Amino acid sequence: MMRHHLLYSLFGVLLIATLAMAEWRGWSLTRPTEVKNVPRSVRDNPGSYRPAYLYTGSGRYLRGK
Amino acid sequence: MVAPRVKGLNCPRCGAAIELRSGELAQTVACPSCAAILDAKDPNLRVLQEFTGKMRYQPRIPLGTRGTLKGDQYEVIGFQVRGIRVDDVDYHWSEYLLWNPYKGFRYLTEYDGHWNDVVVVKNTPEEKEGGRQPTVGYLGETFKHFQTATAKTQFVLGEFPWEIRLGDTAETRDFVSPPHMLSEERTADERTWSLGTYVTPQYIWQAFKLPGTPPAPRGVYADQPDANAAGAGSLGKIFRLFAAIIVALFVVRQITARRDLVLRQVYSVASHNPDSTAFVTPVFTLAGRTSNVRLTLETDLENNWAYFSLALINEQTGTAYDMGREVSYYHGYDDGAWSEGSRTDRATIPTVPSGHYYLRVQPELGSDAERPMNFLLTVQRDMPGVAFFVLALGVLAVPPLFATFRHHAFEQMRWRESDYAPLSSDDE
Repeated sequence: MMRHHLLYSLFGVLLIATLAMAEWRGWSLTRPTEVKNVPRSVRDNPGSYRPAYLYTGSGRYLRGK
Repeated sequence: MVAPRVKGLNCPRCGAAIELRSGELAQTVACPSCAAILDAKDPNLRVLQEFTGKMRYQPRIPLGTRGTLKGDQYEVIGFQVRGIRVDDVDYHWSEYLLWNPYKGFRYLTEYDGHWNDVVVVKNTPEEKEGGRQPTVGYLGETFKHFQTATAKTQFVLGEFPWEIRLGDTAETRDFVSPPHMLSEERTADERTWSLGTYVTPQYIWQAFKLPGTPPAPRGVYADQPDANAAGAGSLGKIFRLFAAIIVALFVVRQITARRDLVLRQVYSVASHNPDSTAFVTPVFTLAGRTSNVRLTLETDLENNWAYFSLALINEQTGTAYDMGREVSYYHGYDDGAWSEGSRTDRATIPTVPSGHYYLRVQPELGSDAERPMNFLLTVQRDMPGVAFFVLALGVLAVPPLFATFRHHAFEQMRWRESDYAPLSSDDE
């Protein structure tokens, strides 16, 4: 029984440490798509950017090219 | 222990050797061979009752076996099987009579592999009034009523300090306070109370140096202690400590979160064609340690929807965080006012390093209404959340909840055999 308590206490400490880290680093349960090397030209020509998600108008989200 | 004086006799019915170990105290003795009950006071061992039963039982601890209980050596001198009938079901248990010339008598009971070490108590327990379930108090301990039944003697071997007969009956009342059980036995002539203490089969096997391994207990016995009961309580205490720490962390986080407002701009969109609506925001700086970024969209939608393709782009590294958000708000009057959706939406981008960023926004306005849409776009840095705190509390609660559930199930099994059995779906 003492072993269970020790394991639970250890688990709790690790969980709280993870929680503190999550809040400190700003973790989230969801994550947007990360895209690398977006050209600087997007700033001058926003329409040239192909977003990762496009709305089709029917409620379905399609991944962009 | 000094070896007791053993008196050797022979059964007048079958001639088998009979030993009387408790001397003058023996009132009756049952022949270990033919199970006839004999008068131990009679020099000729007059037959008092012949065994006519169908079932003969073999004691797990043979008569004459010596063992050490609570530091004193006892010898098994008698064995009987008794039974009760509850709801047309017969239940049997074994009782072993132990003898020490200096300490007196002691009993062991066994039911379905569960053992109790039993002594007759000198003081009458105090019966307490009131309640659906009676209780008695003894030596500061409160015992709950478990079962009332009529116990009948069904088989006897060895010697007894009272006049025992097959078919003897006694009204029994059992009260429990694990690991103890107080039992009252009432006959026409007397009323006795005994105190049993639950012991493990291994304890009995070691005490009497019995060969092999004891039969495993089945089910939960009336006074069997739940080995996990204390565990459930102390896990609950540890959980409360952790929960307090988590709540404190939540408060600290709410107080110390920077909530930096890095962008707040109002935009307007009139076109329903998303190919012509894309724009970028001015460059803003996300300072400090790696942290989250919250985007908030507050629109003035009226019975329409809008879809936002959003990309948070690092001007220096070219890394973009892409997402799509839909906002819709409809309302009207149909047998009362109604509304659905929300004019506001927000999204959090996790772990965004510091740097110079801009947002590329491509709104698509639904065609359900012709009216243009204005929206306020807000970007905030280092926003506190709630989800992880709730999640941590939920995960931490699992072990104590499981232990509590297991303890509850154990108690359900205990009381299922009592006069206070919880209703099952079959009973309803």
